Amino acid sequence: MKVDIGGLVLKNPVMTASGTFGYGEEYSSYVDLARLGAVVVKGLSLKPRRGNPPPRIMETPSGMLNAVGLENVGIHSFIETKLPFLRNYDVAVIVNILGETIGEYAALASIADAAAGIHAIEVNISCPNVAKGGIIFGADPDQVLNVTRAVRKATRLPVIMKLSPNVTDITVIARAAEEGGADAISLINTLRGMSIDIHTRTPHLCTVTGGLSGPAVKPVALRMVWEVVNAVSIPVIGIGGIMEASDALEFLIAGATAVQVGTAHYRNPRAALDVCEGIERYCVKNGIPDIRDLIGTLAAGGACRV
Amino acid sequence: MKSIDCAAVVSIREVVEGHYLLTLHVPRRYLRALPGQFVMLRIHERSVPFLGRPFSIHRVYTRGKHTLMEILFRAAGAGTVACAQLKKGDTVVLTGPLGSGFHVPGRCTDMVLVAGGMGVAPLMFLAEHGAMRPRKRRRVIHCYFGARTASHLYRLARLKTLCTEVKVATDDGSLGYRGTVTDLFLMDLPQFNPNRTALFVCGPDMMFRSMALIMRGSNLSCQVSIEERMACGIGACLGCAVEDEHGIYKRVCKDGPVFDITELHW
Repeated sequence: MKVDIGGLVLKNPVMTASGTFGYGEEYSSYVDLARLGAVVVKGLSLKPRRGNPPPRIMETPSGMLNAVGLENVGIHSFIETKLPFLRNYDVAVIVNILGETIGEYAALASIADAAAGIHAIEVNISCPNVAKGGIIFGADPDQVLNVTRAVRKATRLPVIMKLSPNVTDITVIARAAEEGGADAISLINTLRGMSIDIHTRTPHLCTVTGGLSGPAVKPVALRMVWEVVNAVSIPVIGIGGIMEASDALEFLIAGATAVQVGTAHYRNPRAALDVCEGIERYCVKNGIPDIRDLIGTLAAGGACRV
Repeated sequence: MKSIDCAAVVSIREVVEGHYLLTLHVPRRYLRALPGQFVMLRIHERSVPFLGRPFSIHRVYTRGKHTLMEILFRAAGAGTVACAQLKKGDTVVLTGPLGSGFHVPGRCTDMVLVAGGMGVAPLMFLAEHGAMRPRKRRRVIHCYFGARTASHLYRLARLKTLCTEVKVATDDGSLGYRGTVTDLFLMDLPQFNPNRTALFVCGPDMMFRSMALIMRGSNLSCQVSIEERMACGIGACLGCAVEDEHGIYKRVCKDGPVFDITELHW
């Protein structure tokens, strides 16, 4: 089940998606963290962030909208108070970082680099719910190139660029990240969405729009992952609406080297582990000795009947 | 490891129009649930609703070898409407008990419960705990129960057996005081000694706001059990944020759902 993400070897290809798994500790009484491929923690900024006013979430058909607004304790407090707990587990820890400027991204990367027990950095250039940073960087290929270069320079850890689906052509953004020196690409972050209470004629979220996640986004995510796999030569991590092993297998077959399980954790705190066990069963049943033999095996001819 | 449990529906009935009492067969450890705690509940193998819904625990008891848990709720949105359509024998998936419970200070001799509508759900559980104490250590329980109309004063008879006194208020005056339950309580406020009385409140948002105003001029300790939309129930999604008095967001699921009323910004 081992996979390699830009030099970081994971015991299996299933990670938790940033923002849905807290700092790991929240789920540690429901799932043995050491059995996961990696724990990707909540996005961290230089200073603590308060997040957006409530209401912050709303269920929508087969998914949910969120506008949490990157509430987090800040990277310094994370390293002091949250990271020691994760060091107790034999699991790769990936920190997700978010800056408002390129300088902030670089500073965050070097702080993460200096801390013991962090195995890779995922760079969030795709949050749809904050005014500064996030998507402003993620939608412009030149900015993606610059942010990636700055982070690359600031750390020796593997750098994963997390992309937004809210762009015209995802492959252009992905190539910019690759050119900037990213070791891997993860996608997708949430899709911008909206929901209205027809009785009060007000938006369901305080911020009006939010980020859509859950099974509703899976086909979009899968298509984008497949496009990016075909556009770059670095590993791709598939994210978006993975609820069970079959969803993850689709991403792997499409060419993703690993996957992240996110919103599914809200329905089932054990979701990532269940997905992982399901992939293992599939491999045993189908005589696949090494998960890498499955990755990118989408039949070229497609499903068209001649 | 904490488990995520499947629980069978033992019964469900509409107690008042649009209000349901759901009885579930739960694992034995639920007997240790504290009044004020809640569960995340979703319907087994159903993708709609997609997320679980938080419900405060109304009652846990044993019948024969079985442990049963009651949940009292109003069918208000898509999630609770789906739960209202559960049938005997259906299975739900439960995470819990979650969150903090009410804390009854040791020095307290008098408990005051102020319940509005379905807010009675966790408070009746608290009253039950109070009534189970040995007679010598039993506290005086004063209950103020308000609802729109008399028929919505759910389980009033049972409440009367658990509490030392119960006073009721209805918006339409069909039973007891005509007006809000907070106004009814306010009239009695001076009689409670702040050194040995603890106040417990649950109800709609408006009621909390009124209580917060009342409490500003009082030394009584007052705990509220509040609700907010949430996705995970275990402190990760940050969906259930509420602002505290310092402008910091607290998580209803993990830092609450029981808070001291002065802790929050109203």
